[in-house]
Amino acid sequence: MIRIPCPHCSARNSAEFRHVGEAAARPDPSTVTPEQWRVYLYERSNPAGWITETWFHTMGCRRFITVERHTVTNEIRSVRPAGSSGPEPAEALSGRADAGSPDAGGQA
Amino acid sequence: MTGAASRRLPAQAGELVDRSRPLAFRWDGRSYVGLEGDTIVSALLACGVDVFSRSFKYSRSRGVLSASFVDPGCTVQVDDEPNVRGAHRRLAAGMDVRPQNVWPSLRFDVKTANGLVGRFLTAGFYYKTFIKPQRLWPAYQQVLSRFASGGVTSRQNAHGYYDKRYVHVDVVVAGAGPAGLAAAVAAADTGAGVLLVEEEYELGGHLRFSGEESLSTLSELRAQVAARPSIEVMTDAVVTGRYDDNWVAVLQRNVGGAIERLVKVRAGVLVAAPGLIERPYVFAGNDLPGVMLSTAVRRLVNLYAVKPGERAVVLTANADGDAAVADLTRVGVNVVRVLDGRAGETIRRATGRGRLQAVELEDGTVLPTDLLVTATGWTAPTSLINMAGDRPVWNPTAARFVPSGDGLPPTVLATGGLVGDGSTDELIAHGRAAGTLAGDRAQGRAGGGVPDLACEPHPGMFRASTHGFVDFSEDVSSKDVVAAAKEGYDSSELVKRFTTATMGPSQGKLETINTIAVLSEATGRAIEDLGTTVWRPPYAPISLGALAGRIFEPTRVSPMQGWHEGHGGVPLLAGQWIRPDHYGDAAQEARNVRENVGIIDVTPLGKLELSGPDVPRLLNLVYVNKWSKLAVGSVRYGVMCAEDGVVMDDGVTGRLDEDRYLMSTTSSGAATVWEWLENWLQTAHSDWRVHVTPVTTAYASINVAGPKSRELMQRVVEGVELSTEAFGYMQVRQGRIAGVDDCVMWRIGFTGELSYEMHVPASYGLHVWEALLQAGEDLGIRAFGVEAQRILRLEKGHLIVAQDTDGLTRAHSAGLGGMVKLDKDDFAGKPELAWHERYGLATAPRLVALQPVDATAVPPEASQIISSNGDILGRVTSSRMSPTLGHGVCLAQVDPAVAAAGTVVTIRLPGGGDIRATVQEDLAFVDPEGVRLRA
Amino acid sequence: MPDTWAPVARSAITVPGPRSVVDGWEVSTRRSSAALRLSDASPLAKVSVRADADGALADAFGVRFRSSRRRDGVLVIGSGPGEWLLVGGVGTAHQIAGQVCGLVAGDFVSVVDVTHGRALMRLTGSDASRALSKVCAVDLSDAVTPEGAAFRSSVAKVTTDVIRDDAGGGAGEPSYLLHCERSSGQYLFKCLLDAGKEFGIEPEGPGLDSTGAR
Repeated sequence: MIRIPCPHCSARNSAEFRHVGEAAARPDPSTVTPEQWRVYLYERSNPAGWITETWFHTMGCRRFITVERHTVTNEIRSVRPAGSSGPEPAEALSGRADAGSPDAGGQA
Repeated sequence: MTGAASRRLPAQAGELVDRSRPLAFRWDGRSYVGLEGDTIVSALLACGVDVFSRSFKYSRSRGVLSASFVDPGCTVQVDDEPNVRGAHRRLAAGMDVRPQNVWPSLRFDVKTANGLVGRFLTAGFYYKTFIKPQRLWPAYQQVLSRFASGGVTSRQNAHGYYDKRYVHVDVVVAGAGPAGLAAAVAAADTGAGVLLVEEEYELGGHLRFSGEESLSTLSELRAQVAARPSIEVMTDAVVTGRYDDNWVAVLQRNVGGAIERLVKVRAGVLVAAPGLIERPYVFAGNDLPGVMLSTAVRRLVNLYAVKPGERAVVLTANADGDAAVADLTRVGVNVVRVLDGRAGETIRRATGRGRLQAVELEDGTVLPTDLLVTATGWTAPTSLINMAGDRPVWNPTAARFVPSGDGLPPTVLATGGLVGDGSTDELIAHGRAAGTLAGDRAQGRAGGGVPDLACEPHPGMFRASTHGFVDFSEDVSSKDVVAAAKEGYDSSELVKRFTTATMGPSQGKLETINTIAVLSEATGRAIEDLGTTVWRPPYAPISLGALAGRIFEPTRVSPMQGWHEGHGGVPLLAGQWIRPDHYGDAAQEARNVRENVGIIDVTPLGKLELSGPDVPRLLNLVYVNKWSKLAVGSVRYGVMCAEDGVVMDDGVTGRLDEDRYLMSTTSSGAATVWEWLENWLQTAHSDWRVHVTPVTTAYASINVAGPKSRELMQRVVEGVELSTEAFGYMQVRQGRIAGVDDCVMWRIGFTGELSYEMHVPASYGLHVWEALLQAGEDLGIRAFGVEAQRILRLEKGHLIVAQDTDGLTRAHSAGLGGMVKLDKDDFAGKPELAWHERYGLATAPRLVALQPVDATAVPPEASQIISSNGDILGRVTSSRMSPTLGHGVCLAQVDPAVAAAGTVVTIRLPGGGDIRATVQEDLAFVDPEGVRLRA
Repeated sequence: MPDTWAPVARSAITVPGPRSVVDGWEVSTRRSSAALRLSDASPLAKVSVRADADGALADAFGVRFRSSRRRDGVLVIGSGPGEWLLVGGVGTAHQIAGQVCGLVAGDFVSVVDVTHGRALMRLTGSDASRALSKVCAVDLSDAVTPEGAAFRSSVAKVTTDVIRDDAGGGAGEPSYLLHCERSSGQYLFKCLLDAGKEFGIEPEGPGLDSTGAR
């Protein structure tokens, strides 16, 4: 089971999260065309490679987070609270098994 | 005891058996005695029993091959437990051990007929034979299942207790031979926490049966492990898989009161140290009982003090084979001939009836013997590193596949025999270096290097001049592999699937190399070009019980559940909630609500407390209707649609105070709606000042319904004026109920009657429930369950989201189109609903009420509505007999062509037959004007 | 009809043993001296507070997400980003709520009494971590989850706040507070008893005193 380095809670098993899906921006409903709206609703790029996606930490902080994940290797290169931008807190990523001890990243 | 002479040897250095503790057990219906420390198989061998099973296809007698967990001929039934590895499982007093896959008995097996016709059961036989005709498949299945191996499980068995555990540790060492032990100690010395996992019951690997010097090295290593509390040791446990992010699965047997425990380990670094597995040699008769691997002989002699035979022939191509010769000679076995594979010597075949009787050499010499020992090479179990990304490569010098060294993440290391050969000291040195590196890496340090461990030259011995078995558990012979190659199955992966070689219980640990070597011979392609098959989890068999573990299936109950159970409430599982469906007679419960007063426990109703000045903006966004003008003290019904315009949830929301609201959702939608609100607040409107607090179970919710409910409320409510002028329909009040403060009550009418829904601080739920029943006794109060509520709301024509709607039902098709306010700036699903209103209404299904023409007819839910030519025009979504009206009442989703009131439609019943029903003017059958609920 | 009602509060968790009404709660008076104990602490006052994660209230509490501390007899737990759980003596919820509202006037703060909406239990004993690690996948080692640490995760598939609170355990042993939705309380209690079976766990009634300490 992969781990998601939650920017709030530290790295946790993916089973604690709900995979919301590829991040998609909501078009302005007052000007949107049916084509654009349905792209927002249904069309996803589904790449074999890097993808920016949203996860919801259902059983943890209950925050939506934005994750950049490689769909082939499951490597995660950035995480941040959804709706925010900018670099992820370094603390969360350092908790990954491949980078150090499990669930590292001490108390806030 | 049988009459056979005991084969127990005098005390051996390092033996595991305790001669002071005899254990009585049964085998195949007879009594035997073994010793504590014996495996089932060593105890039987000591008693002179050497046939333990019949083979899968040809029912050939099978005995000991490897004397280890993977031994294919030693799978037995113990009491009610099938598929026990008899060469691994420790003997226990009173065990009832039986052979399996024998029918009707081990001695006389009707399937031996297969042996006679064996040449017809070639590779692919089952695939080719049992194909057509399809109608015979049930018969084929019965025949085949008789021939399939496996034990017997009794339907009377109690559920076994299985367990799970999570472990977070810096370093996991898989395998506790010399390299693994050294790695664990070295990793601990770097400050790392270590989990050391060993498949056998004790640490040491081959050091346990390799002579006095090895034993003294082992006791030193064991002492080092014991002296380090940061090393947790698991024996009789096996690492079965390595997954992403070093998620390591360990199966631990017979621990903490559980049959098996699945340990889920998040490891900093995994060190794979599984050692080597000895490879069988392929020749005619290589499966006869009495033909053994050198490591089997050394285990039996040194660990269990069992004499494996009287007259032995040994074919050895390595030092371990030589050591087996020394062991046999030491314990008085007559070694009549040693053939040296390194000098090109070999054997031709083994012969015997049911067990080994003679060995025939290449020159035709026949040597009568009861023991043939082979030591012709090794298989490196590359399973774990394979799972971590390494693709093993063929090393022709060592004649085995070895790790390529490429593709492994820095969090996985290999050591010991898996990597190469060496003296005990060299293996320990390698393990120590790997352990140090693992410990350093797990703690975020770079760490040093690990020395090379070269592979020693070993002759490539795979098959003699005769054909024999390459896969003992699947009964696949080298001839089958040759035949498969001739049919075109010329790659290792194809041959595996066609012949099923390597697909049996030992999963290639014994069979892979020989299969590929024979394929190489048959195709003329080099082994390095053919490559090995991919090893996938699990490395060792796991029972389904261990995978399921203790079952975590959360259930939820209301504070009144105990009362329901004590009063005949028939439980209904709705999502995680256990609720009373009814208390014996749902129709009577429903009638009582129409006539008197009833109470229902609606605690599972989702409840969210919303606070903050921007709550109206949020409500306007998630509901399709308008919320800006909801006054304090009022509630409003709202419908939520998803972004595709499909109805997602509904419920009422009340404004309790200026900035404080209580939202209710459907019981099943509570979690979804909460997440939906958070989604909007977190990702789209983080500037809005709204806090959402889930309070579903903070309140016990009780719906009081019926014409006498106001009278009942007057008896229990304090501080709230209850007259219809003061507290009207769709209003909310806060007050004291039966002495309990902080209660919320609102007037809504899902049942169609005058009703109050009260939300009581949950710890007082039972108190209030009992107070209501007591206070309403003379009013004819009774509790009603979910089923009565379903009847009542259907009579009233109130829909249930996800029952009367589905994943395609837009608001308009649920009869809720009038609520959709497209003049609002924005709300979830607005664009879709706007287009739908403009272009889609003419063809969209509609929700209508249907009354069957025959008053006794109640069509099952999901019955289809059809046209005269059989086209589907809709379906019945809800259907009940109305106790109030005495006829069937239904809701249905129908094509607009038949949605007009008065239309008579045809309903096709699932069991056949049609009934007719009339589309009603109104969704409500009872009180369409809403007089009762507004009373 | 009684002239005065005598409401009795009941925990979601049923603990075997003799029962009596203490401070308006019907509780089991069973005590245990087993090496590992699981006690129902549900009657304690529980208040949920929401505010800006880095705002004035966070500063006033001196507690951020994933940590906890005791202040004036109230255990203040950083239970989520911008979310706190306050645990105090039985019947003090209104008092606690009032105090919180007084801490930072003017900020957007929500205070909800969740005493009746949640179940609270305490697992205490030298094997507490081992038992909990059978149903919880978070690393409970001292390095990651030291005294005072708080996290929310799945415990036996129930979303649960876990607080390492050896001080409140009162026995100088590892002790955890576990806090979940009331309706899942009995299920979680049973799961923990099952997980602790191999360590000789015993259930006990609420040891009632302020702040959740025994």
